[in-house]
Amino acid sequence: MSNLLQEIEAQISGVKTSVNKQNVGIVRECADGVAKIEGLTDAMLNEMLDFGNGVTGLALNLEETEVGAIILGDYLSIHEGQEVKTTGKLLSVPVGKGLLGRVVNMLGQPIDGKGPIKEDAFYPVEKIAPGIIRRKSVSQPVQTGIMAIDAMIPIGRGQRELIIGDRGTGKTTIGVDTMINQARNNKVGRASGDKTFRPIYNIYVAIGQKQSNVARVIAELEKADAMGDTIVVAASASDSAANQYMAPFSGAAMGEWFMDNGMDALIIYDDLSKQAVAYRQVSLVLKRPSGREAYPGDVFYLHSRLLERSARVSEKYGNGSLTALPIVETQAGDVSAYIPTNVISITDGQIFLETDLFYQGVRPAVSVGLSVSRVGSAAQIKAMKQVAGRLKGDLAQFRELAAFAQFGSDLDAKTQGILERGKRVVEVFKQPQFDPIAVEIQVAVLWTVQNNYFDDVDVEKIKDFQAKLTEFLTTRKADLLTKIRTEKAINDALAAELKAAVGEFKQTYR
Amino acid sequence: MKTTKQARRDAKQLFHTCKVSGLLDETRVRNVVGAVIAQKPRGYVGILTHFQRLVKLDLDRRAARVESAVPVSEALQQSVKANLGLRYGPGLAVTFAVNPALIGGLRVKVGSDVFDGSVKARLSELEASF
Ligand SMILES: Nc1ncnc2c1ncn2[C@@H]1O[C@H](COP(=O)(O)OP(=O)(O)OP(=O)(O)O)[C@@H](O)[C@H]1O
Ligand SMILES: [Mg+2]
Repeated sequence: MSNLLQEIEAQISGVKTSVNKQNVGIVRECADGVAKIEGLTDAMLNEMLDFGNGVTGLALNLEETEVGAIILGDYLSIHEGQEVKTTGKLLSVPVGKGLLGRVVNMLGQPIDGKGPIKEDAFYPVEKIAPGIIRRKSVSQPVQTGIMAIDAMIPIGRGQRELIIGDRGTGKTTIGVDTMINQARNNKVGRASGDKTFRPIYNIYVAIGQKQSNVARVIAELEKADAMGDTIVVAASASDSAANQYMAPFSGAAMGEWFMDNGMDALIIYDDLSKQAVAYRQVSLVLKRPSGREAYPGDVFYLHSRLLERSARVSEKYGNGSLTALPIVETQAGDVSAYIPTNVISITDGQIFLETDLFYQGVRPAVSVGLSVSRVGSAAQIKAMKQVAGRLKGDLAQFRELAAFAQFGSDLDAKTQGILERGKRVVEVFKQPQFDPIAVEIQVAVLWTVQNNYFDDVDVEKIKDFQAKLTEFLTTRKADLLTKIRTEKAINDALAAELKAAVGEFKQTYR
Repeated sequence: MKTTKQARRDAKQLFHTCKVSGLLDETRVRNVVGAVIAQKPRGYVGILTHFQRLVKLDLDRRAARVESAVPVSEALQQSVKANLGLRYGPGLAVTFAVNPALIGGLRVKVGSDVFDGSVKARLSELEASF
């Protein structure tokens, strides 16, 4: 009996003395959001470090005598000689549907003052992209609601399409329009009660932007009632470079959760040029060797590993997708600079916005010649393919001829025809901001263009004609539009119906 | 003063020559410093600065500090030393200190590893869990 008591006693004392081992270091130097830490012999690459009172760091440089870490959070509170602990965890952010409608920072903490977030899980910020086995080719469309893009440069779920252009050419606007259109489609889809409908959730990552710009985007999203399907991750210009450089990875983690759980998500990185600049700053402070334009050698890997995380996953693995629309800013239209060429080579196509077009009033200022989608018409519904098949070629030909036609007045009838058609198509593709167009209306309008109903309308009156036609179709022929949306193709019967409807409209149009 | 790459490399080499079967030898360190100062090779100040840093880091790595709320008995000191020796190998410089703020128990720090079995640490752990 006494043996037993002794045993228990021994066990109790064993429990009491089991203390956990911790690994600590001392801050030797702290500047520009980067700390050099002595000790920390157990630190792992990309491990989260605990600086105490809520400040976290990320171990980026493991050197012989010290550890270089970026500080996420308020780095002004950190002082020399402070103790730092390893945590044994990778940097993670909360993910899940609870984040929809919220504005969060790089760590996934709410910054909109709407209380705590209920997350479904935590995802590591740096994650290896889905492998080849899990992937599937892109085949379902993402409707941007911008006619020029949906008709000529279609984007599919799981694709990575770059939006590139000089400053102030409407890059952000394309992203915001796309998000608004997803929210609208989601609403229509949910209301239709269609079991196979798959909503697309938006994630907008603002990197290094003015707070006022971020506030403007959020206000537009709220006005369009699109915030409910959107997560905004903001690392604005006043946040530290470390936060700015990590923010896209946090956003990607949030998007991956939707993809892993068989849902579709769309992520907009606005913009990756600023992220590259922030990364350059962090790297220079960490004394990593610099290369071209003083960017570190792994700036390509920075963007490629981020964008590879967008994918379309096959049915066997849940059928989810993450579509990425990275934005890159160019200087004076130079797409051959370092960051633009890098990102162009990683993505599946680009939408190039031209300053000249923008100031000529062609907005969205999409350059037809320089924009491509490498996924192509695989990501279009059949009806769109039927009406938009030749548009891109026609328009490119028109741009070429228009420059040439300035010099001569004697043009043969065929050239005249191409020019007149081209002018009208350009007009049709002009579109005000924050007003995405539903795909069935796009199809109906383009069908009207293809069947020569626009040819006898004056160029100045095209927009008016288009607006009234749209109104006529939505108010009087709503069932026809519904048929286009649900059947997704124009068969003979639908074509006849369209013909009758447009004919009727033409009669009344003044 | 910024130490050059070459100075750092030289310092590291000198540092390695000071080791006897993996442990730093004090007399060798003193000899090296004396010799460098006597010969004044190119950039010797930089070399010595970095050398000092390496020695300091090595000493830190092998310094064990045992804190307790009340002075510990000689027997316990011996057993702690022996246990640390088993875990970290020979050559540890163990110091004992009294820190009443711990309330009770021991806090052992070896290099950058900390084993905190003090009452204070447990209390703050408990506090954090609320
Ligand atoms: N389709 C459009 N129709 C009319 N105005 C537009 C259109 N698209 C953009 N704009 C206007 O152009 C301006 C610049 O747009 P936006 O902010 O989207 O450009 P950006 O390329 O993102 O600029 P930045 O380089 O500053 O980020 C805005 O004032 C916006 O209102
Ligand atoms: Mg912008």
